[in-house]
Amino acid sequence: MNSTLDQQQEWEREFDAAAKRSLRERMEYSFIYTYKPVLDDAKYRSFETMKEYREWCRKNLPEYLGYW
Amino acid sequence: MSVFSYKQGELISEVFNRWNVEYLFIGKSGAIFYGFPDVPQGVEIFSAQSPENGRKLISALLELGYELTAENERELIAGKDFVQLRGGPFDLDLVFAPDGIETFAEARSRSHVIDGKFPVANLDDIIMSKKLANRPKDRESLPRLEAFRDYLRSRNLTALPTTPSKS
Repeated sequence: MNSTLDQQQEWEREFDAAAKRSLRERMEYSFIYTYKPVLDDAKYRSFETMKEYREWCRKNLPEYLGYW
Repeated sequence: MSVFSYKQGELISEVFNRWNVEYLFIGKSGAIFYGFPDVPQGVEIFSAQSPENGRKLISALLELGYELTAENERELIAGKDFVQLRGGPFDLDLVFAPDGIETFAEARSRSHVIDGKFPVANLDDIIMSKKLANRPKDRESLPRLEAFRDYLRSRNLTALPTTPSKS
């Protein structure tokens, strides 16, 4: 079977299931706290440009977080 | 810090509206408002970049319970492209120049208000911004997010119903 088609069908089932929940319920299920090392260790960080932010991510964050 | 919830979303909406902050929910957290079933890594808000909006934003953030130093406030007024806030009621990323979006006014003209109170960037803008950011976490979620956009389109929906019928 075409795995992409299988994947699309599975996603469609997930979207159908989400459609049966209220926005309030969907938000309760979606937002879970996961500690992200380094990223979550400062109360405030700012970056002049998005480029500067991306460079900071590359230099400071573990690769597995998926930011670079 | 607590986990972001519908109630927290209402609080943002209420406080930001009171201070007339120009903002939109964006990123994967924005897609959640449309009904996208996924797990975002935090709440992301696109805020208009201007000294006036910066001042309003500071007032709203302080009211929500974020701690800002005088230097932080100066930066928010002067304008930064990206600010991460931790230590408040929930983790918040403020983006002032999302990839692929020219101006806040343009994004707002394409945005939707979900459930009568949550202003959210257009799903196409969220997708485009993620495509251009092109980080591993964006590449991982994009095919499913695009499939969700197509799912809504095929049903002529802007978003999934906020209170579905129980039939």
